[in-house]
Amino acid sequence: MRDQDFATHDAAAWRDGFRTGLPTLFGIGAWGLVVGVAMIKSGLTMPQAMGMTLLVFAGSAQLAALPLIAANAPIWVIFVTALVINLRFVIFSVLLAPHFASLPWHKRLGLGFVSGDISVALYLQRYPDPEPAPGKVSFLKGLLYPNCAAWQIGSVIGIFLGNAVPTEWGLGFAGTLAIVCILVPMVASRPALCGVLVAAAVSVLAAGLPYKLGLLAAVVVGMGTAMIVEETGDKLRARRQENRKADHV
Amino acid sequence: MSDLEIWIVIVSLAIATAITRSGFWLVGHKVTIPKRVQEMLRYAPSCALAAIIAPDLLLDGGTIHLELANAKLIAGIASVAWFAWRRRMLETIVFGMLLFTALRLLPGLLHSYQ
Repeated sequence: MRDQDFATHDAAAWRDGFRTGLPTLFGIGAWGLVVGVAMIKSGLTMPQAMGMTLLVFAGSAQLAALPLIAANAPIWVIFVTALVINLRFVIFSVLLAPHFASLPWHKRLGLGFVSGDISVALYLQRYPDPEPAPGKVSFLKGLLYPNCAAWQIGSVIGIFLGNAVPTEWGLGFAGTLAIVCILVPMVASRPALCGVLVAAAVSVLAAGLPYKLGLLAAVVVGMGTAMIVEETGDKLRARRQENRKADHV
Repeated sequence: MSDLEIWIVIVSLAIATAITRSGFWLVGHKVTIPKRVQEMLRYAPSCALAAIIAPDLLLDGGTIHLELANAKLIAGIASVAWFAWRRRMLETIVFGMLLFTALRLLPGLLHSYQ
């Protein structure tokens, strides 16, 4: 396939991506709102908070940076913390990059920068294989751009509401619920379910690790578990088939 | 921190995001990932999503809460069931938030009637 076909705007695929991500936008917006409120409450000025939300666009890294800023931590410590929290995006980009290798570099830089957790999960459900297909790029954009817009709008509203939103409302829980909905169909196989349960357990037990390393440990241990379960499942099946053959002989 | 220092932090956070999110998009086609690692990575998105939400559902200030008084945990479990049944995301989020809010306020309401 020619690269042009792969990258040309496909309005139907864009709308398809938009519709796929639409139900998550509410949760994303609520999450952005919480981060916006948190930035103001932690003492950032309005221009600083606006700058952070527009330039950084990584909610968990922003939230983790706030107490470090308040505590006057060295800048390199804040930088390393953000790198570690975002390490899961390296794994996501390993999965997504082969799909879009033929795009010009600035498009890859831009699309990569706005690829959040939920969008990547939804995209990979639709296109698990990296072969170029018509409309792929448009579908991804239909997921990423509204997702980014919902986040930014929520965040800016949060910045302006500032101290008016009580923390006890727990608005951030809407983001957790959006992820719950995406996760449920993803655990349809036994290896995936085992991996997810182990990852959840590790993330809770290792939550106290510095630099949010618990998140990374959870992903690595969860993936390994899923792989082991998959391979033992394959071996058991193979043995059962052999036994069946032996019975027939 | 001074205003300038905070802006330096903001720019360094943006750079950290760009490195982790876009780095591989830029150089990925020059690197070959072993097939086994690729197979394992298929499970990364679901594990990462689980690892993001599990502490929110189970932890409160460093202690694990597995009991009925944990409004987030109860609302989270009910939302899994609701989504498995209805398959509607927005509806599930609204349901989960309403249940969470009700569970959060209920003890106080009951107390005030005693």
